[in-house]
Amino acid sequence: MSSRSFRRSALLGAGLAAALAVGAGAVALQSGGSGGAPRLTVADPYIPLPATPGGMGAGYLTVRNAGGADTLVSVSSPAAGSVTMHRSTDSSMEQVEAMDVPAGGTLDLSRGGAHLMIMNWTEQPSLGDELELDLQFAKAGRVVVRVPVKPLTYRPGS
Amino acid sequence: MASLHRPRPRLLTAAALVLGASLALSACSSAGGGGESTGAAKVSKKASTSQYQGTVLSKNFDKPDLVLDDTSGQPYDLRAKTAGKTVLLFFGYTSCPDVCPTTMGDIGVAMSKLTAEQREKLAIVFVSTDPERDTPQVLRTWLDSMGKDFIGLTGDLSKVKTAAKPLGILVEDPVVDAKGAVTSTHGAQVLAFMPGDDKAHLLYMAGTSIDVYKHDLELMANGVAV
Repeated sequence: MSSRSFRRSALLGAGLAAALAVGAGAVALQSGGSGGAPRLTVADPYIPLPATPGGMGAGYLTVRNAGGADTLVSVSSPAAGSVTMHRSTDSSMEQVEAMDVPAGGTLDLSRGGAHLMIMNWTEQPSLGDELELDLQFAKAGRVVVRVPVKPLTYRPGS
Repeated sequence: MASLHRPRPRLLTAAALVLGASLALSACSSAGGGGESTGAAKVSKKASTSQYQGTVLSKNFDKPDLVLDDTSGQPYDLRAKTAGKTVLLFFGYTSCPDVCPTTMGDIGVAMSKLTAEQREKLAIVFVSTDPERDTPQVLRTWLDSMGKDFIGLTGDLSKVKTAAKPLGILVEDPVVDAKGAVTSTHGAQVLAFMPGDDKAHLLYMAGTSIDVYKHDLELMANGVAV
């Protein structure tokens, strides 16, 4: 699945930065520099169909960053009353307040690791639904992603 | 801010097992799991030529002497009901979003690739670590998404803890936050008890692939010794 969402202003910012860099001969904003604007894309988002209809759900996705460092600070959805960020550990899981999106790197939310926990659905999700997740980044701002509901055991590429 | 880019302990554990190192599982738990060591869960990959891809246990735990309610609300004596069967045992809870449905779902997919006759030889048993919310009916609905013939057990949490501890599986009281989200700390490994002696011989860490489960469940169903 290809990238689904761009932060337009982030791209504009990067373009502007590139233009400035060319104009001024500056090198401070070269790719991957932590001081540069983040350039984020979201790949392979999915929500496995909850095992209990309308029950506790998870969300997975990959944030790719071709620019400077950013941070995912919150996630919300018109489809659910609560979306929180968690990380599974060997015997439990812990809520995290923010997740790093490193410069030139990725933030990977995948099974058994970092994930979104989705509760209090406004409507019971069904296979084939596309639900909106609103990702709020510290620098890039809000990124809206359309996320398909997949079978319980789905994995990207399968 | 939590960094999510450090290597996960689970991966290190898997690597260590492959290398044949012996380690205590409880040493790998974090997030509150470290304090209450249940110890003793020494595992090692034998240099033997076992056909199984799961981790061969060097210490073969007894099947727990556990009587809880099944998903019809009737008492279920684990030892009596599953004597002579291969049993895959997992402790978890239904409001767990990530590891529990992933593990049970993957086992379900692997089971679906076996014949009905092969499936008959296996009992997949899920024991709730959150019995207050996991009523028999809640458990049944949740398990049906993964395997209609999966066995769900729920009841007295102290019994569950007592059963899990000698297996090296940590189970703590569930914690409910202000939003009503439940977090239960529980060891996420799956143990396989073999029919010959009703003892645990194989272990599968969280993250074990469907292919590995399918490979090993087929051997178990065909009566291949570890």
